[in-house]
Amino acid sequence: MSLASASGAPGRPVGLPSGWAVAARQLRAVKILFPFLVLIAIWWAIDAAGNFSDRVLVSPKRVFDTVIMLISHGVLAEYVSTSLKIIGIASFISIVVGVPIGFAVGANRYAARSLEGFLRFLQGVSGIAWLPLVIIWFGFTHTTTLAIVIYTLIVPIIFNTMVGARAIPEQYELALRSLGAGRLRLITDVYLPGALPSIVVGLRLGMGYGWRALIAAEMLVRQGGLGDLIFGARTSGQIDRIIGGMIVIGALYLLIDRLLVQPIENLTIARWGVLRK
Amino acid sequence: MSVLTVPTGRPRHKVRLLNRLAWFLVPAAPFLIVLALWALAGEIFKPSRQTLPPIGDVVAAIYELAVSGQLATNVAASLYRLLLGSLLGLVTGVIGGFIVGLNRKIAETLNPVVVFFNAISGIVWLPLMITWLGIGTALAVFLIWNTVFFIVFQNTALGVQLVSEVYEQGVRSLGGSRWETLRSVTLPGALPYILTGMRTGLGFGWRALIAAELVGAASGLGTMIFDAAEFHRSDIIIAGCLIIGTISIAMDRWLLLPIERRTVQRWGLVADAEKER
Repeated sequence: MSLASASGAPGRPVGLPSGWAVAARQLRAVKILFPFLVLIAIWWAIDAAGNFSDRVLVSPKRVFDTVIMLISHGVLAEYVSTSLKIIGIASFISIVVGVPIGFAVGANRYAARSLEGFLRFLQGVSGIAWLPLVIIWFGFTHTTTLAIVIYTLIVPIIFNTMVGARAIPEQYELALRSLGAGRLRLITDVYLPGALPSIVVGLRLGMGYGWRALIAAEMLVRQGGLGDLIFGARTSGQIDRIIGGMIVIGALYLLIDRLLVQPIENLTIARWGVLRK
Repeated sequence: MSVLTVPTGRPRHKVRLLNRLAWFLVPAAPFLIVLALWALAGEIFKPSRQTLPPIGDVVAAIYELAVSGQLATNVAASLYRLLLGSLLGLVTGVIGGFIVGLNRKIAETLNPVVVFFNAISGIVWLPLMITWLGIGTALAVFLIWNTVFFIVFQNTALGVQLVSEVYEQGVRSLGGSRWETLRSVTLPGALPYILTGMRTGLGFGWRALIAAELVGAASGLGTMIFDAAEFHRSDIIIAGCLIIGTISIAMDRWLLLPIERRTVQRWGLVADAEKER
């Protein structure tokens, strides 16, 4: 930009290149928004043509107004923060506990083999299936939701850390050890970078499962959170709240995935030059 | 390997045999440890039957459920929904994936919508769909279809895009029609991706099903454990969870893994299926 203004001849619009960049960005935004606009138009047309009751379908405008109302009253912020807090705590605990376990197990082939089947089994029993039992244990509380989400998140993280640690060629470890590297050095220079791409894959999969488990658990525990928002609205037939909540859930998940998980993934791939597939 | 090595002494041979035995038995270890801890917790804390039933109760519950025919009915109901939903998801996902994978313009236009709806696939639709479809099979099938579709769709599109154009041109220059090219080049080329999508999709679908059945069905494994929770029958809940996990493992091991391995072998392609040890 500064380059353009320096070389810009008098009379020529100085900011032209940056203007082009803005235009290109706008074009991209239009391209992303366009299919959504088409969908909203179809939705509007169906709603207008069908003359549905408010308990079946409402117009996009109604949903928009409801979302604005929820935001301005601070209700949405409360529901969102409840959900985000739980998924945040759950991810933190799952990484802090799951990654070391994964490494410990991955270091020994017997341990790895023994845990593989067990973890597969746990993954097969989705977290939500344990919900009735956990409700008996902890009642209808946030602890219950948190327990379910951690259970769902930690299994893929342990599993993928283990797989990642197992896949590191032994030569790397031997080479560093023969050069006199200590255990800590091995962890920071061999195990962690070697397994990181796999760990991130596990985190991403875990977030996919965990986010859904969170929403489902919130629907049944009914102690706040986005799942509670949309499921609670069902009982009173507030379709506008349900659809608005769904849009918020989708947008929020994309935000977490794109702004948090994907950059980490790109970073690990760029940093250690490991390509998936 | 053991055939080629000449046993040099008895003890060594014995050690190898022991190792092999350990290798074979080691997957059972975590399950046994959990059982031991469970029994120990029962002895030490003496929890009530509702909090943590003794192992014997759970075994008895499984037997009871099996004998009374309840188990068969519920498993059949769940599997029927899963089959219907996944088949629909597979067919629509593959067709959609082909259309998008073969056409760059459509792919670019649709991508934002796909990304968004993928973020809310599955259980998030539950409240809206209960209002539209009511409680029952249609609801569960929709949720499974919705979950499986996006995963298969995205994997198929990726697989189709990754098939090397050279092969397609080869068949076409030999006089193959468009249809012939699709059938004998693109489909087999994309198959490993489709199957990986199917495997992942079924994992997500099974979770979505259980969650849907917790509130949105009159029968099925999810309903079974949720009903048990009302009477605080922890033994039935745990029995249900064990059965859910077993079915999930069995499906993966005996249905999806063999299919995947066969196609991968057949077309000499390497998908990121796990390596056999």
